[in-house]
Amino acid sequence: MAQEDNLIEQIVKRYDGDTGMLIPMMQDLQSECGYLPIEHLRYLGGRLKVPISRLYAVATFYSSFRLAPKGAHEVTLCMGTVCFLKGAPSISEAVCREFRVEPGGTTRDRLFTFQAVNCVGACAVAPVMIVDGKYYDGVTPASALEVLHGLAADKAAAEKEGEI
Amino acid sequence: MTVLGLRQLNSLADLERIRAELLSRRDPSTKSVHVCTGPGCAAKGSPKLYELFCEAAKQAGSEVQVQAKAVGCHGLCECGPIVLVQPGNIFYQRVEEPDVAEIFRETVLGGRVVKRLLYENPATGEKAETADKIPFYKLQKRIALAYNGLIDPTKITDYIAQGGYRGLGKVLSSMTSEEVISEVELAGLRGRGGGGFPTARKWRSCREADGSPKYVICNGDEGDPGAFMDRAIMEGNPHSIIEGMLIGAYAIGSEQGYIYVRNEYPLSVERLKEAIEQAKELGLLGENILGSSFFFDIRINRGGGAFVCGESTALMASLEGRPGEPRAKYVHTVESGFRGRPSNLNNVETWANVPHIINGGGQWFAGIGTEKSKGTKVFSLVGNVVNTGLVEVPMGITLRRMIDEIGGGIQDGKRFKAVQTGGPSGGCIPTEHLDTRVDFDELTKLGSMMGSGGMIVMDEDTCMVKVAKYFTNFLQKESCGKCTPCREGLSQMLYILDRITDGEGQVGDIERLEDLSEILEGTALCALGKTAANPVISTIRYFRDEYDAHILDRRCPAKECRGLFRYEIDPEACKACGICLKNCPADAITGEKKVPHVIDQKKCTLCGTCWEKCPFTAVLKV
Amino acid sequence: MYALRNMLGKMSLHRSVKGIRKGKPVPIVTIDGCKVRVKKDATVLDAAKKAGIWIPTLCYHPAISPDAVCRLCMVELDRGDWRQLITACNYPVRRDIVVYVSSEGAKQARRGVMELLLARAPESQELKALAERMGVKETRYPNVTESQRNCILCGLCVRICEEIIGQAAIGFAGRGVDRAVAAPFRQPSDDCIGCGACAAVCPVGTIKVRIHQDQQEVEISPFKSRSKLLVCEKCGAPIISTQVSERVLGKVETMSSEEFRQCIRLCPKCRKLQTAVRLQAATVYKKE
Repeated sequence: MAQEDNLIEQIVKRYDGDTGMLIPMMQDLQSECGYLPIEHLRYLGGRLKVPISRLYAVATFYSSFRLAPKGAHEVTLCMGTVCFLKGAPSISEAVCREFRVEPGGTTRDRLFTFQAVNCVGACAVAPVMIVDGKYYDGVTPASALEVLHGLAADKAAAEKEGEI
Repeated sequence: MTVLGLRQLNSLADLERIRAELLSRRDPSTKSVHVCTGPGCAAKGSPKLYELFCEAAKQAGSEVQVQAKAVGCHGLCECGPIVLVQPGNIFYQRVEEPDVAEIFRETVLGGRVVKRLLYENPATGEKAETADKIPFYKLQKRIALAYNGLIDPTKITDYIAQGGYRGLGKVLSSMTSEEVISEVELAGLRGRGGGGFPTARKWRSCREADGSPKYVICNGDEGDPGAFMDRAIMEGNPHSIIEGMLIGAYAIGSEQGYIYVRNEYPLSVERLKEAIEQAKELGLLGENILGSSFFFDIRINRGGGAFVCGESTALMASLEGRPGEPRAKYVHTVESGFRGRPSNLNNVETWANVPHIINGGGQWFAGIGTEKSKGTKVFSLVGNVVNTGLVEVPMGITLRRMIDEIGGGIQDGKRFKAVQTGGPSGGCIPTEHLDTRVDFDELTKLGSMMGSGGMIVMDEDTCMVKVAKYFTNFLQKESCGKCTPCREGLSQMLYILDRITDGEGQVGDIERLEDLSEILEGTALCALGKTAANPVISTIRYFRDEYDAHILDRRCPAKECRGLFRYEIDPEACKACGICLKNCPADAITGEKKVPHVIDQKKCTLCGTCWEKCPFTAVLKV
Repeated sequence: MYALRNMLGKMSLHRSVKGIRKGKPVPIVTIDGCKVRVKKDATVLDAAKKAGIWIPTLCYHPAISPDAVCRLCMVELDRGDWRQLITACNYPVRRDIVVYVSSEGAKQARRGVMELLLARAPESQELKALAERMGVKETRYPNVTESQRNCILCGLCVRICEEIIGQAAIGFAGRGVDRAVAAPFRQPSDDCIGCGACAAVCPVGTIKVRIHQDQQEVEISPFKSRSKLLVCEKCGAPIISTQVSERVLGKVETMSSEEFRQCIRLCPKCRKLQTAVRLQAATVYKKE
């Protein structure tokens, strides 16, 4: 038997161990942790006597569940026609290479989640990158990396000041 | 909690006594301000208004009796935030924070009307003091939404004072389960979630099914984009659902109920939880309800984010802690449903109608509506209409009246093109059928359906092919993926629609879409798949010319599909300001000062920047 | 005793011939004109088998509960003034019904489904063979969805692992076009016992059992789950996964665990050889 998992025990107790309440249980777990950590899920499965394949099926079927933590920042790169023509692919390449992340994924240190989308409707200022809702226009590979490195620096500074 | 000194209601007499007591305590001279905190108004900041009114009421001191109430969705969301002042039923719209003081001073304390906050009829310029003078409300008949706007949904005492749980009392004290089912049968109530199945027949089948325990379930998974009727009921009058389920459970012989609420409605979950707690405390849920031998309990379960969970078997799978995958319905859920037991599933609005049917009688209910579609229906009227919001009307009203009289016609003086009804399972209905009466069967004859009540009005600038693609894309993303035709068929349809809107349509594409729709309709496992082709087929039926233009002429008549229309500068409107030229990312515009600019079509990438930036609207979509 | 049993047997035979069992009629299925009787709650597919009429299936297996997801076994049910398309593998027969397998409507429905499947999994030879047998030579649709090595998501592997083997080592993941069969978290599963039942039931050749001789492991591909193998003491050929052998051991009642373990020290080939040698020796003894 795996080491006792207090968080899961609390959650199971909250719902009287009713396997029908699996989705609310997983939602509570995700509220607590920001995503669904594998080890907690395995313990939950063992506790409820439900095969882990079912928990995985549930976690991947419903849109609200995340199996990987989202980054602290959301970075979106527009891949609409004009942005595409103006060099968005090379920006994407640069970001992926520098931060070792794939489009749709999150950096290892969870600094940001990187997504490519189809046209944000700001073609006049292409290429466009959006960070946490803030638009950056006329972006180049170099300027994009600068902005993203700035996020890392902010985080380090905040940590230093004991904000995190 | 104690209500007027009573901890539990142990008999019908207790309930009636409390009701009488609550009513007698209502001072007719007390003024009250009802602030709508339904989804539409809340998005515009109405909770803050409520707070301000509460403050004002407190500060008014003890000589003036004023109470502020946060109420549920009143319907005319377009004009939100909505504030009603009693006595007088004064209807204020588009109220903002600075208005609170004025309303309080003038209307609440002074009995005077603040004219500028009244609704103004855009056609006649007339101001309406009360809701019933507003065309939007005149044609409505509110049953499911009857108490919305009148009661505070977080107070069971409001519900009781208004008449709540009287139906339950009548049922438990003087009706047998068969009598209850007969009453609902006489009423002709049909499922309001889209299926339109006769409710009494479902209850009876469940009652007669072998097996126990029997379950009673409420489908609160309202997933159709543009629909928020159920949300308004769950958040504005949660007790109506509880009472409906209690009556249904009694009739069927069930002791356990579930309310399944979609994940995206956390406030609905909260309101329902509160309501259930309060009902339990008063003994309206649990053992020996109102002193009878009837036991019933309700649990709330939440969805995880999947449109398909609105389908009954998928919902039940979700309730069992599984992925929401539908299953075959050759054996109905009333025989074998949740956990393989007889289960009766009804929609939120269906349940909300039940107490009214018991109170008013089946005959009364059957007197409203059409021959085969009795009662009223709540519609969500949205899109390019002037008055968007929730509307409850007797069945049988024509589309034209809905859109013109209630909806106030098309926004910005544009022309009506189509109304999409029934959500992703429905279709688009054009001008020539606007005089169709809205009920369960008439719209189905036209290739659409009433569905759960979504009505999306579209104007002349809408590309119907794009609309079809939107719904197909939605369904493809929401398909559970279990069965071949839905998963593969929708992907094939989407592939063709993408080609068409990209200007790469091929002759034969329409026939391909029609073939695929036949496969979906005939072989898909569940209703999602079976009706998934409706948006495409109905638009092909009524807007074939648009498809042909896309495919044969590479042209989008509505000028929505990028690449299938051109931008041209109107030389008469162009002021040669040069803004377009400067911003064009393809350097396709030429022109000098005082010379109308010109777009070089060969260089133009059709990005639309010039169209967006031109301050003189000199750039035209052609 | 025998007489009584015989009499009871004759009585039940008599009853079933008359089509009456305890007063309740046994439903009759008229399938393409052929009348057959089936037990109540048997499926239309059962009736078709009895009548000797072939209906193509992919996700059906007699040992597993039917799920009717492939939608290939579509047939038409007579509803009086209209015909309803139903899946034969799971439609329960509860009263007399009339079913059409070879009607145009049913054939067209099955063809449509098969063409969609061929579009999805263009490289499966098994699928092509089934299509041929159905008279579907090719598909008019392009390949627009990705399948994992021709997987058509019939779910037989998932269901056999869960319902029969009881391990639930694989399951479905994702939704819609992203639906796939996978081991939890896309990592090799600890619950997999290497029995290969999933590979045995896969109708399109997606799942394969791979023997890793040097590591003495069996791998279920593409899930990457591995289990230890028992190998022949004599020739080193793989015999069975150790976990499966433990499983079987738990169910064998006719021999002790020691006897059983002796049994599986050699692969079938070597054991036959050993038995042959022993038999020869025995005959030698007997002669003397």
